[in-house]
Amino acid sequence: MTFFADFCIPFIVGATVMFIIIAAKYISWLRDLPRSDIKLIVKGAVSPRLFTAAWEVVRESLLHCRIFRVNPLLGYMHMSLAFGWFLLIAVGWIETVAYLGLKWVPLQGHVFFKYFAALNDFGTHKPTFDFVMDLLLLVVLSGVTLAWLKRLRSRAMGMKRATKHITFDRIALSALWFIFPLRLLAESVTCAIYGGGGFLTGGIGHLLAEGINADILHTIYEPLWWAYSSALGIFFLTMPFSRYMHIFTEIPLIFLRHFHLKPETKEKSYDNFEVEACSRCGICIDPCQLQAQLGINDVQSVYFLRDRRYNMLQQKIANNCLMCGRCEAICPVGINLNTLRQNSRTSMRNIPNENRYKYLRNLDRSEGDGRVGYFAGCMTLLTPNTLTAMQQIFEAAREDVWWADKSGGVCCGRPLKLSGESDSAQKMIDYNKELFYKHRITTLVTSCPICLRVFREEYKLEGIEVLHHSEYILRLLRQGRLQVGYSAESTFTYHDPCELGRGSGIYDEPRAVIENIGKLLEPAHTRKDALCCGSSLANTAIDDRQQLTIARGVAEELDATAAQTIVTACPLCKKAIARGAKNTVKDLSEIVAANIK
Amino acid sequence: MINFGFSINKPRVIDLNRNNLNKSKEVIKEMPELQACIGCGSCTATCTAGNLTEFNFRKVHTLVRRGEYQGAYEEMNKCMLCGKCRLVCPRGINTRGVVMLIKRKLGDF
Amino acid sequence: MKHIIVIGGGVAGMQCAAELAAHNFKVTLLEKDSDMGGKIRGWHKLFPTFTPADEVLSGLRLKLAQAQNITIMTGSKAVEISSTKVALASGKELECDAVVIATGYTLFDARIKEEYGYGIYDNVITSADLEEMFNKGDVRMKDGSTPRRIAILHCVGSRDEKVCQRHCSKVCCVTGVKQAIELKQLYPAADVFNFYMDIRMFGPGYEEMYREAQQTYNVHFVRGRISEVSPNIDKRLQIKAEDTLTGRPLRMGVDMLVLLTGMRANDDNSHFAANSNLRCQPSGFMQPRDSFLHNTESNVEGIFYAGAITAPKNVGEALNDGATAALRVKAWLESKK
Repeated sequence: MTFFADFCIPFIVGATVMFIIIAAKYISWLRDLPRSDIKLIVKGAVSPRLFTAAWEVVRESLLHCRIFRVNPLLGYMHMSLAFGWFLLIAVGWIETVAYLGLKWVPLQGHVFFKYFAALNDFGTHKPTFDFVMDLLLLVVLSGVTLAWLKRLRSRAMGMKRATKHITFDRIALSALWFIFPLRLLAESVTCAIYGGGGFLTGGIGHLLAEGINADILHTIYEPLWWAYSSALGIFFLTMPFSRYMHIFTEIPLIFLRHFHLKPETKEKSYDNFEVEACSRCGICIDPCQLQAQLGINDVQSVYFLRDRRYNMLQQKIANNCLMCGRCEAICPVGINLNTLRQNSRTSMRNIPNENRYKYLRNLDRSEGDGRVGYFAGCMTLLTPNTLTAMQQIFEAAREDVWWADKSGGVCCGRPLKLSGESDSAQKMIDYNKELFYKHRITTLVTSCPICLRVFREEYKLEGIEVLHHSEYILRLLRQGRLQVGYSAESTFTYHDPCELGRGSGIYDEPRAVIENIGKLLEPAHTRKDALCCGSSLANTAIDDRQQLTIARGVAEELDATAAQTIVTACPLCKKAIARGAKNTVKDLSEIVAANIK
Repeated sequence: MINFGFSINKPRVIDLNRNNLNKSKEVIKEMPELQACIGCGSCTATCTAGNLTEFNFRKVHTLVRRGEYQGAYEEMNKCMLCGKCRLVCPRGINTRGVVMLIKRKLGDF
Repeated sequence: MKHIIVIGGGVAGMQCAAELAAHNFKVTLLEKDSDMGGKIRGWHKLFPTFTPADEVLSGLRLKLAQAQNITIMTGSKAVEISSTKVALASGKELECDAVVIATGYTLFDARIKEEYGYGIYDNVITSADLEEMFNKGDVRMKDGSTPRRIAILHCVGSRDEKVCQRHCSKVCCVTGVKQAIELKQLYPAADVFNFYMDIRMFGPGYEEMYREAQQTYNVHFVRGRISEVSPNIDKRLQIKAEDTLTGRPLRMGVDMLVLLTGMRANDDNSHFAANSNLRCQPSGFMQPRDSFLHNTESNVEGIFYAGAITAPKNVGEALNDGATAALRVKAWLESKK
């Protein structure tokens, strides 16, 4: 019994090359991991996290649960292809075992089992396997059909836009599309000549045997198996260089993520797993406001990751992103898109310079004395209503406050970090940190979500609790240190600032504060799905008109709630939305201060 | 001695016959809106770094546009990119983008 | 007798109505407020001659009172306009043969420029507030004391992309100079600073007045836009600007800050444009049929414009517009016969 025929060569070559390349990639990535990451892996591998990771692999790599939640049709397409193909391989293996018992069969023996089964006598025919295998093939074919449909009419699949692909992707994609129809044809013709097969291959085989001359069937028989094997071979050869690298890469990624590895301020080896786990499904394109409102088509996360992977990333692409996190929130692979983009920018622009910001030395322009520190942030100095409102709130709550930057302070460092100058940003972080410690504050309140985020994520302030003013105000209300008047006639709508909502997970506190004062009406996009005001500091590429277009879109939605006042909790959002809104826009602190009892 | 704000302009005359305007043209090509500057000084007045140093954004970018590059990179390095200037610019110039662009052009990265 | 409706009882509308009546038309003048006069009612003296605004207004009132066939309807806001019919907010409909829209402009709301502190800090006032103070003869700080140092900021809500007002309001520069002189006449010991981006002295006598302010009244002019205002320790207003002519930041405490608020397109313009097929300019001001030969006609036959409905204008220009529109209406009606 031999399990070799000439037509197997393309498949064998393709599969071998693919496995070697993938193995080489993984080994080099793992080898380059920093020591701290390796420690995490060792610790994680002997913990229960190993099993939770394995379960996630089943849910995400095979079943694609997350895509299902975003878009059921798209989810079915991915599941039928991934899970269907996986089952074809698994059931195919069981089928060989069922016929031949537990003995070693080369890979091509499993894959082209139908071909070899027709040539050799493997004993009694097992129709159950024929049925199951045909059913699975049908499932995969339905997935392929949907993939075709998505290319032709992405809207029918619930996507406004599908990804624009590069050559490698196109070759791999075409090969993938042909694999299963060719398999169906090859197996059906085999059934037509030798009989057998399930309802699908057998059925088509029967029709072919009746309708087509036996000579013709014999002539196309071998070429069809060649074609099937070649399609597989081409797919495997292009796979490590194309988007389909994600099929395998998502698996180690899930494990590594469960072991607490994550991308950081600077690029590192682990990032490769995230970058190559992107399947370029294009789900990130539609939520992008740069696409939806400005028609910018080449900067979305899918293109950013693609350009980064092939070393063709340009600054103008990397810089053209609001980092609002709408794509990250929806990414079915859960890639840390913002962090990756930020560390790409760092690779492009970070120039360590010891002399930079030397002027910060011995600087202290703070005022007042108190255990509670208030950091207004640069932008808040341009929205003095927020400052005066905070002052009134502090006075009403009888809080002694240390004002860090009332008459101008030093930037928190996040804008610089977002622009890629991470080492220089650290100088501001160090400066402000020292200032906070010097004045011995125990609580740090800020009304700027940009500052808040960097205080929480980078400052590592020990012994100082960092609060956004929405959290602080809510605490005062709950402790009874601040009383506000409620009026059912006052209606408010709330705009979630990106850095506060998706960035810091603060959704409920500002809403709770508003509900203490009046009625809250939610806009169409809200919470995790909230729109960006367009003025994000992360984007240094779009111009003022483009910012305004985005702001007007957001303002329109907020105006549409018919609330009397638009409330937000970020100075930048406030300024941006006020440019487009018909109703008045106020900071959360303003409506609180105006209603103090 | 008169304090000229910062010390990047050694020769007093801006000699447009001699100055090499290539970099200046590249800057303008990538950020044409910079030409809309009317020199109102809002950016410099509000500047967080300008509050603490002699950094004058308006002056530096104007000199760069005139082909006076010396010291401009170092001056731009004083900027904290906080973005206040962009928020106050009446001409809607992407000032943060200008800082990054001039640094990229003069620092060759 | 043909019936013409003039919408808006400001200087342009009053002038137009009086001129139409003189040409033997039956005229209805609609004014949304309870009294005629429009914005000029709030002004004290007019540049560059320091003519009391009242003088102009009473002249116009007299002209209207002497005319035949004018019906003045105050408290009447027009909501729908066509060349043959005007519907009022009260639900009443008026038939007519032609319409002149002279609804003027809306004053920019200085609170939008939050960084200047209008509505937040005492003693930050607008040029309109200052005119009112002049009218009352009581220019003082909130606490009743006299200001020793006053800053006047140009271009608040004009030439500013950040508040979506790209255009120049054109009259603020000269108003700033005029108000500086008036302040100096009132308080010769006070220091008055004008913060400007460009000084645009476009009219007859304006440049001369600018020079007088500098030379005779010692008004200071600083070329730089104030970026922000904050309260300082001695309760004064701390202002930040760049003195762009020396290239150095400038900081000073002032007792009073006057914001020269600009002219914004009338809030009703977009509504009229949508309902009556009238064209708006990108600035929001109405678009005349062309800028030269038909600059008081709209793109719709039988609807005419007068005054600041089409662009920022000073009082003299608005008065001219009123008279021109009247002639245009007459010519159009005669051509129809």
